[in-house]
Amino acid sequence: MKNKITKRMLLFRCGTIALLLLIAGLMFIVGRGHTVYFDNKKVSYDGKSIDTPPYRIDVYVNDERVAKLSAGDRGMCSWMGQDFRMRMEITKEKGGKKQIANVALKIPYNMDGIVLNLPALLAGFPQDGYLTEFVPAPAEVTAEDEEIVTDEFGLEGLDDGMEE
Amino acid sequence: MSNENATTKGNVLQTGQQKKKGNSLLNLLASNTVPIMFIIICAVCIPISGFSPAYLINEILTRMGRNTFLILALLIPIMAGMGLNFGMTLGAMAAEIGLIFVSDWQIYGIPGMVLAMIISIPISMLLGLICGKILNAAKGREMVASYIISFFINGIYQLIVLYMMGSIIPIKHTTVKLPRGYGIRNTVSLLNMRQKLDDLLAINVKGVKIPVATFIVIGLLCLFIVWFRKTKLGQDMRAVGQDMEVARDAGIDVERTRIISILMSTVIAGFGMVIYLQNMGNLSTYSSHSQIGMFAIAALLVGGASVDKASIGNVFLGVTLFHLMFIVAPSAGAKITGDSMIGEYFRVFVSYAVITIALIMYETKKRREKSQMAELLAAEQEADA
Amino acid sequence: MEETKTKTFRDRIASFVESFGVPRLIIAGFLLALFIAAPFVGADLPTQISNTINRFCWNGILVLAMVPMVHSGCGLNFGLPLGIISGLLGATLSIELGFTGALSFFAAIVISTPFALILGAGYGWLLNKIKGGEMMIATYVGFSSVSFMCMMWLLLPYHSPNMVWGLSGKGLRTTISLEGYYNQALSGFLRIQIGNFSIPTGALLFFAFMAFCMWAFLHTKTGTAMTAVGSNPSFARAAGINVNKIRMLSVIMSTWLGAVGILVYEQGFGFIQLYMAPFYMALPAVSAILIGGASVNKATIMNVIIGTILFQGIVTMTPTVMNNVIHMDMSEVIRIIASQGMILYALTRKSEGGKS
Repeated sequence: MKNKITKRMLLFRCGTIALLLLIAGLMFIVGRGHTVYFDNKKVSYDGKSIDTPPYRIDVYVNDERVAKLSAGDRGMCSWMGQDFRMRMEITKEKGGKKQIANVALKIPYNMDGIVLNLPALLAGFPQDGYLTEFVPAPAEVTAEDEEIVTDEFGLEGLDDGMEE
Repeated sequence: MSNENATTKGNVLQTGQQKKKGNSLLNLLASNTVPIMFIIICAVCIPISGFSPAYLINEILTRMGRNTFLILALLIPIMAGMGLNFGMTLGAMAAEIGLIFVSDWQIYGIPGMVLAMIISIPISMLLGLICGKILNAAKGREMVASYIISFFINGIYQLIVLYMMGSIIPIKHTTVKLPRGYGIRNTVSLLNMRQKLDDLLAINVKGVKIPVATFIVIGLLCLFIVWFRKTKLGQDMRAVGQDMEVARDAGIDVERTRIISILMSTVIAGFGMVIYLQNMGNLSTYSSHSQIGMFAIAALLVGGASVDKASIGNVFLGVTLFHLMFIVAPSAGAKITGDSMIGEYFRVFVSYAVITIALIMYETKKRREKSQMAELLAAEQEADA
Repeated sequence: MEETKTKTFRDRIASFVESFGVPRLIIAGFLLALFIAAPFVGADLPTQISNTINRFCWNGILVLAMVPMVHSGCGLNFGLPLGIISGLLGATLSIELGFTGALSFFAAIVISTPFALILGAGYGWLLNKIKGGEMMIATYVGFSSVSFMCMMWLLLPYHSPNMVWGLSGKGLRTTISLEGYYNQALSGFLRIQIGNFSIPTGALLFFAFMAFCMWAFLHTKTGTAMTAVGSNPSFARAAGINVNKIRMLSVIMSTWLGAVGILVYEQGFGFIQLYMAPFYMALPAVSAILIGGASVNKATIMNVIIGTILFQGIVTMTPTVMNNVIHMDMSEVIRIIASQGMILYALTRKSEGGKS
């Protein structure tokens, strides 16, 4: 009798652990965040090139305008997951009519930062042509070391522990 | 023999309780001194502070969402008679380790929170186990021991976070890691997670934001606690809290039950800390956890709880009153004395004073009951003879 | 035959370890290793040793303040900040009243005495009400009083320009320099200086004097009564000792020693630290006496001396030695783990004697 209960307990525990691991794995996929940069710049790839980027591109992500790019500008937003979707409102020339383009694309899982060249994307270049990994500028050589405040008892926190 | 002993003790307990019921109204007033005091403080300070009702309600709802989960973590050890669990800081540290990893792995939003909670579970369980074992060795001094444990584990936390992360434990991003190559920065930004739970399903009523999803999570925990009280384990815990010896005679594994109660409290505190920090939006690596225990305990006590008795109602009343005081005191203090620091110090003082008073009331009550019981026992023995 | 011999030897080691305590052994061994390693890693040993002695003098009396309450069974005095506050009141009032030089030190002791007596009496009365729960309540009495005094330091009408904020002209500063007052009042007295090696004779003598007084007191009739109250209260009561009165006396003594202790600390350190500074000053003192071999209900003067040397030795030695060996300054973390671990260890020991 007792044996049976412990066996059931064991099964239950293993099940819980497996479930938690499963959720954790799922979170890894679903929650992986990326920083997406948008370039409205000149681009050349594989012999083809775009020399005059549009006058202005507005980028909407989740119905929220995240970037307002004149030619030569760069904007950015955060995105969770690998299926990136955005809407662009393109104004080719000053005073011209707005064109709307909806774009959905896959982001590589292991890239933290992605640079999208919008003109190349709109011109239908292959992925290598419009998508590059964002490499942060190498840290300044004279990166001063941060003073660590270990604050054994949290006295600092006393005054502002509850502040925003 | 021991069984017989236990039953007489039980009888005595019952008679003691019956006797107490006689002056229950006085008891009711006496046991609610702290909340009444707080209501008075708030009633005086609110008009002086000059804050608008909408602002106050908004602030209180935010702080309620931020802190309630943490405070609920205290209920289970109280049920098991282990007093106020100052060791809940341990769970907070486990959560912070989880959040540091999640931040380094760039997992955003609610999935990031869930992942951080899952990472915190094994760490919390390990720390809770250690804490429980130590508290079992320090019976009768659980509170002061759990209080020192929080400092001790803080040392180990610093060892891991300041020296091992980045050198032994892989940390990739320079936004998290110190420029020297190992150790975590003073603050880790949780911007990609900031208020993601609060904003989910949030309702805006005349400028007052109600973080519905957070309240649902808190509600689920409340339901869990209510349910847990009725389970076999919950009943055992209450028995252990009533009288360890009687529980042991009834065949309950007292040590194990106590360890489980601390373990659960630590895990819940870990979850609570994740919720707390997603609201704050950044993590102060070396100080976020240090005062968490103190503020949670003070809030619970303000709600009318005592060292050996606390309910979910105490939690909600406490979090409202305590944070109302926290919001209005600095501004009221500044208006009265002309010095903004006075109010800051005042609220810190009140937090500590509340805990002190509650501890004193608990100890005097315990002593009174002890002497009452001794009297009753003596009377019974006389009657027997 | 041989087997029994080895067994007894092993037993003797075991019993020695048992009586000394494993954590204590580790800490002592660690300090020894630090001292041996110091010359090899290029640390200047004489400077290190004089630093250790200096810090011993600063902290000795704060640790000594633990003794009376442990003896009377009140446990470790986590409420030491209350005594420290009396000392701070004495210090600030002494400066406010215009005392200067070494005289201000003694004036501070005299002024702090009535505060220590009154606060100690109240504190003792409270602890008599809540026998059995002393340590936790002591901690929070300390915290409450420190945070209360935070308000008072701002509100009390101090005027001395050396102490108040320059701009507003009121409210005490967080740190007050003792230059021109009692800076090095004891440590500078009869100081012996040989190269890098210096001995603060005056402070050592003062500590020795206080320790001797404590030792002598514990051998008076009242002192033995105090020990009796601590080791077996019901027996003490049966022997006609007024337990509450003795406990009250021990608390007052602890508080007063805390007041004197902080003044001695300040004269060495050179500054008065107000506001949040006294908050956790009890913990180093508590862990020092425990490292020295005391337990929750047993402490001797020897425990105080050994413990303070070990604790302060580790505090002074680890930063330099560790930095030179592994180029990581882990001293803070080691200190936290060692001192808090020691307190935990002591709290989990079963209390010997008849304390219920």
